[in-house]
Amino acid sequence: MNKILLILKREYLTRVKKKSFVFTTILFPALYMALIFGTGYLSSSVQKMNIAIVDSSGYFSDSLLAKINANDSTILFTPVKDTSVQSHFRKAGYDGYIIIPPIDWQTGRKNIKFITDKTHGTGTESMIENKLNIIWSEVVNEKLGIDNEKKTVLNTSNISIKEENQENKNANSAVSSTIGYVCGFLIYFILLIYGSQVMMGVMEEKTNRIAEVVVSSVKPFQLMLGKIIGISLVALTQFFIWVACILLVYTVGKMMGSESAVASAIVAGIQKSFASVNLPLILGCFAFYFMGGFFFYSSLYAAIGSAINEDVREAQSLSFPITLLIIFAIFMMTVAIRDPNGPIAVWGSIIPFTSPIVMMARLPFGVPGTVPVWQLILSMALLVIGFLCTTWLAAKIYRTGILMYGKKPTWKEMLKWALRK
Amino acid sequence: MNVLEVHNLKKYFATQKAVDGISMNIEEGGIFGLLGPNGAGKTTLLRMITGIFYQDSGEIIFNGKKFNPEKDVADIGYMPEERGLYKKMKIGEQAVYLARLKGLSKADANAKIKTWFQKLEMESWWNKKVEDLSKGMSQKLQFVTTVLHNPKLIILDEPFSGLDPVNANLIKDEIFSLAKNGSTVIFSTHRMEQVEEICNHIVLVNKGKNILDGKIAEIKNSYKENIYSLTADNLPAQGNSNLFDVVNEKQGKLILKLKDNSSPNDILQYFINEKAAIHSFNEVLPSLNEIFIKLVEGTATARQFQNVN
Repeated sequence: MNKILLILKREYLTRVKKKSFVFTTILFPALYMALIFGTGYLSSSVQKMNIAIVDSSGYFSDSLLAKINANDSTILFTPVKDTSVQSHFRKAGYDGYIIIPPIDWQTGRKNIKFITDKTHGTGTESMIENKLNIIWSEVVNEKLGIDNEKKTVLNTSNISIKEENQENKNANSAVSSTIGYVCGFLIYFILLIYGSQVMMGVMEEKTNRIAEVVVSSVKPFQLMLGKIIGISLVALTQFFIWVACILLVYTVGKMMGSESAVASAIVAGIQKSFASVNLPLILGCFAFYFMGGFFFYSSLYAAIGSAINEDVREAQSLSFPITLLIIFAIFMMTVAIRDPNGPIAVWGSIIPFTSPIVMMARLPFGVPGTVPVWQLILSMALLVIGFLCTTWLAAKIYRTGILMYGKKPTWKEMLKWALRK
Repeated sequence: MNVLEVHNLKKYFATQKAVDGISMNIEEGGIFGLLGPNGAGKTTLLRMITGIFYQDSGEIIFNGKKFNPEKDVADIGYMPEERGLYKKMKIGEQAVYLARLKGLSKADANAKIKTWFQKLEMESWWNKKVEDLSKGMSQKLQFVTTVLHNPKLIILDEPFSGLDPVNANLIKDEIFSLAKNGSTVIFSTHRMEQVEEICNHIVLVNKGKNILDGKIAEIKNSYKENIYSLTADNLPAQGNSNLFDVVNEKQGKLILKLKDNSSPNDILQYFINEKAAIHSFNEVLPSLNEIFIKLVEGTATARQFQNVN
């Protein structure tokens, strides 16, 4: 036990002291933010288009087109009388043209052709469609004799529903989904990043040949466990630094809140959202599923690391199935967030391969409202059994692999090591 | 008293009988040579003695009791043939870490490392990293970390490979002084001249079995072939003698093989009678190298893969 402590202390300190740790701790949230806002910005900036409208129905008058162009100019409709535009629309400065055939106002018309010289995709297609439909509904309204007053009534008078869970009056599915997403993705990233760190660490010990020196002092199992726990603590440290940063930003925002209306609104929003979930439960479960999932997967990564000889390509091909399982879990999580009571969500949150990620996505929806207590207990118990099993199997592979050189590892070979007495 | 006894130890791998029934006793305080060609099973044997592998069958007695890896590794220092150290770790920290894994307290480890570093002129290394060291330097460091915790049994697998003669001598002297202070050294190698120089007892292993076991002097005696060397002036022309055969003749030096019924005295008598002026006359014992080659020769040099079951 004492020796495990020594090993994990070394693993922890050498990693935390590294410059790259400080770097990634700061850089990761920054990059993540940049990714989110960056893609948001990129997807909002759409290319402008100029489309020639050749109207033979008589409904799309120049004045209507001008009116709609004034509202939104990303897609410009230009009325064209001359049908010869068809042959040289690109030269005339148009990205495409639409010939509107005669339309019966009561039935409308499907599949009017938008002719272009390159494919723009469904996004552009639906934007053009929407814009044409705005004009079309004005035409139809006029035909039906609906004036502006009636139109306002039609647009504004509707019914909306809001779910209220009687077990948990504060439940807010938008907030729950967000927290679920964040928790699930955090565990996903930590499993992938730190799992491969475990693998690289084991590989390093093997290729440096330090492994044989160390296992003449400690049992291979102690070495493996020390490494896994040490690295999990590094991950936890990084996580706590992030949480501390968020809290710092939050309190600073709160202090500034008295002066700035926007900041105080944000702070109030955060307070309200946290009030709608059981925060201690979420944090407790997060710690549990984080550790459980980490032990479950990193022991597998350790086993693979022990089987590899210096060749990074071997590492990639052998660890691929494990990585695939984690990616699979994140897919299940997105399904589970949309339907936290569905069979995929329930099974995904119970089976230990996916439970650390999927269960964390379901939990913010409420216990026992969405996740019955028996499911939570079963899921936790299975995860504990699961990681004990993988650690046990991994330890056997590790024991043989760490001293085996020159042999190209295969899954079959590793299975043989694992199942040997 | 025997610090280590090994009884009929076996370890089979999927395609190899790596160790196939080796028995040996190692006395306390001696320097013991474990010899064998490549792939003879030396490393597997050592790994069982150091608790890295479990034997399939057989028994290891350490210090008079059944070997208990958990506890006994603190009394063993093992330097594997493939050296290994953490490249990015500072040398002082690394030595302390490895010593503490052997059960030393932090203060104790620090003090011992300081004395050793002083003794081997390594004080300036403390804050350097292993990647800054040359091969020979890291070899020295590896040796220090092996013997640091004052182990009863020190196992060195090819300790001199990669060392220049000066540093090799330095380490050699340390090995002698460790043995004098009561540690037992097992020294695994296939370099015979080092064994002859250092060891007092050897075991020769081939194909997983020990084929020779004894004190070096006794082994040499038992493999002697009645060969003598004689240097003299005025040597008579050599005809056939019923006393000896000439193995080799070179500028006043004769290598003679005695015939069964003759004694060294008969030979001397013969040459004195022939009026030769004798400078020296002595027995030529076979070198370990010759014995080694003789015993191992004829067996396939490389081990073949075999079916164990």
